[in-house]
Amino acid sequence: MNPKFRVVSIMRGALLACAWAAGAALAASAATAPAPPSGPTATPDAVPAPGAPGAAAAPDDFKTLDQEVQGLKKDVIDLNKDLFVLEEELLFPANTQVALYVSMDVGAFFALDSVTVKIDNKEVKNYLYTAREADALLKGGVQQIYLGNLKVGKHELVAFFTGKGPVERNYKRGATITFDKGVGAKYLELKITDRLAKHQPEFTIKDWE
Amino acid sequence: MRNLWLAGSLIIAAAVTGSLAALSFAAAPTLVGKDAPDFVLKARDGRNLRLSEFRGQVVLVNFWARWAGDSRQEMSALDRINTTYNRAGLVVLGISVDEDLIRAEEFAAAMKVSYPLMFDTGARIGRDYLLEKMPMTILVDRGGVVRYSNVGFKRGDERAYLDHIRELLRE
Repeated sequence: MNPKFRVVSIMRGALLACAWAAGAALAASAATAPAPPSGPTATPDAVPAPGAPGAAAAPDDFKTLDQEVQGLKKDVIDLNKDLFVLEEELLFPANTQVALYVSMDVGAFFALDSVTVKIDNKEVKNYLYTAREADALLKGGVQQIYLGNLKVGKHELVAFFTGKGPVERNYKRGATITFDKGVGAKYLELKITDRLAKHQPEFTIKDWE
Repeated sequence: MRNLWLAGSLIIAAAVTGSLAALSFAAAPTLVGKDAPDFVLKARDGRNLRLSEFRGQVVLVNFWARWAGDSRQEMSALDRINTTYNRAGLVVLGISVDEDLIRAEEFAAAMKVSYPLMFDTGARIGRDYLLEKMPMTILVDRGGVVRYSNVGFKRGDERAYLDHIRELLRE
């Protein structure tokens, strides 16, 4: 696990624990505070006069305590949200993030079996497609096949597609793209389309700016 | 006196052996009660099969190897089970952990079983399933949780498989 991610996770855990402990302590102090007389147990003698200072102070204390607890809970939720965003940014920071997607259009000339992705000559993903998954792509589904991090600069991506081509023949084709990874996330789409003129499938990589 | 020494030594040796056996038994990792790790592999007929796509069915996963003597016997038993319970919602998957793919395929072809046989040449799935001895069989319930695990195979084990399969199919 990424050490930064671990630190953030620990921080989140500690924060939640502290918040709950504080909440519990406030609730406990509220419970031990003297309860205002009410209901059938309160005798007319025990009811303080409307103008007496004790009558107004007790409800005010409760109100303040309740507000404090609610405020604390809100702070915890806000902090937790911020830490969650921080966690995501640490794992897949936007400035180094690269996401790859696979899509298929028509697919009459190609039955997809697997996709292998290499970035800078290093295999980052090898995915086998079941019949259901290939069918989902044919119906317009888009699959996120890879999410990772890359440094700013030039990179080469090679994708190998295997499957059955026209006339049920085994088919293996590759597509290459050299892209510039700038500051900010990079989205690339591996597209499988039919080239009707040649009755062959076509494999392209689209760089979503 | 000498006999006393001998008896004492024997008792200590037995105690040590027993505690070691108990320790190794207790330390044996198991996936029972946990979610079955998902995998996708190519079957001999060319289909890619993913475990999670069989959710809702009871799945028996059998790890086999050509060199594991009991595998042949177990695969024949599993073939009979598959033939009987396939229609009731049982899926049997055989995964070879043999590194020699060609010889594993030859073995698989010779076995002529009715259920899909796949090949985990990289041993990645075997690692996920804490595979230590061969063969190994696990049963996954309709919710994808490992419910039963058996290492090795001896005559009569198929009865235990059937008991568990029937129970899981009823759920």
